[in-house]
Amino acid sequence: MAAADLNAIRATIEGRLATELAGDPAIPVVFHNMAFEPTPNSSFVQCLVSFGANEYLSQGLTTNSQNRIIGIVTINIFSAKGVGPGANFVIGKRIRDLYNRVIVSGVFFDAATGPEALLSAAPEGYFQTQVRVTFESIEEL
Amino acid sequence: MATIRGEQGAVQFSASGGSNATVVGTRSWSLTTTKETLDTSKQGDTFRSFVGSMVSGSGTVELVYDPDATGQAAFLEDVITAADPADASFELFTTGTTTGSDSVVFTGIITDMEITSTVGELVVVSCSFVTSGTIAMNLQ
Repeated sequence: MAAADLNAIRATIEGRLATELAGDPAIPVVFHNMAFEPTPNSSFVQCLVSFGANEYLSQGLTTNSQNRIIGIVTINIFSAKGVGPGANFVIGKRIRDLYNRVIVSGVFFDAATGPEALLSAAPEGYFQTQVRVTFESIEEL
Repeated sequence: MATIRGEQGAVQFSASGGSNATVVGTRSWSLTTTKETLDTSKQGDTFRSFVGSMVSGSGTVELVYDPDATGQAAFLEDVITAADPADASFELFTTGTTTGSDSVVFTGIITDMEITSTVGELVVVSCSFVTSGTIAMNLQ
């Protein structure tokens, strides 16, 4: 048993998305703290993994003990503006199905929220929706 | 003075009286110790008087279920021991796992095991026990 490797959890989450969006039709995906220049009138996806509050699960301090690590994946889906939401929702379904109630490599994904349309896109010039999935992982010390 | 938090606690157990081992995944434990009293009041007394009598204990241990966690299976399944001779040994620690320190030691019987699976929550197990024989307290 060892302390949780947060980058391993992140890699599990991001790798799953990268693999899916590399398939046909391929969609560019960008992660936290990466430079990216989107192509106008095309689709792309931004994936943001954040870790939040953790909590004790069991007794035992630093040995023979467990913690619950909680986080959220926020996935912003950008598509061409002024042509309706259909293309965006097709991407949203691919992403939602990727995480919805899935358990992979010790990461438990909850029921996904979205794709939820946002009134103003950031960056501007796109139609933006958002899929959010909370997740948890059990750290065993 | 030092206060203690619940996460410092631990439970050690042996189903058949051998060396105790830590049960991994315990979330809480409780122990209630009760001393019966005998009424020694006599005719002519104004105030009732008592002497202490038999001491007994009972309590619960709650666990986060993990089929692979060390010690859990033996602990949970002790409830189905047939003709239980009350040879299971327990040591409940308020802090640490140093035998005979900050703990309560006794032998007993697991009398109840409830495992609960609920959507959106971890599977948890709650076990109840009664003590049998001496209860040794090292809570100083």
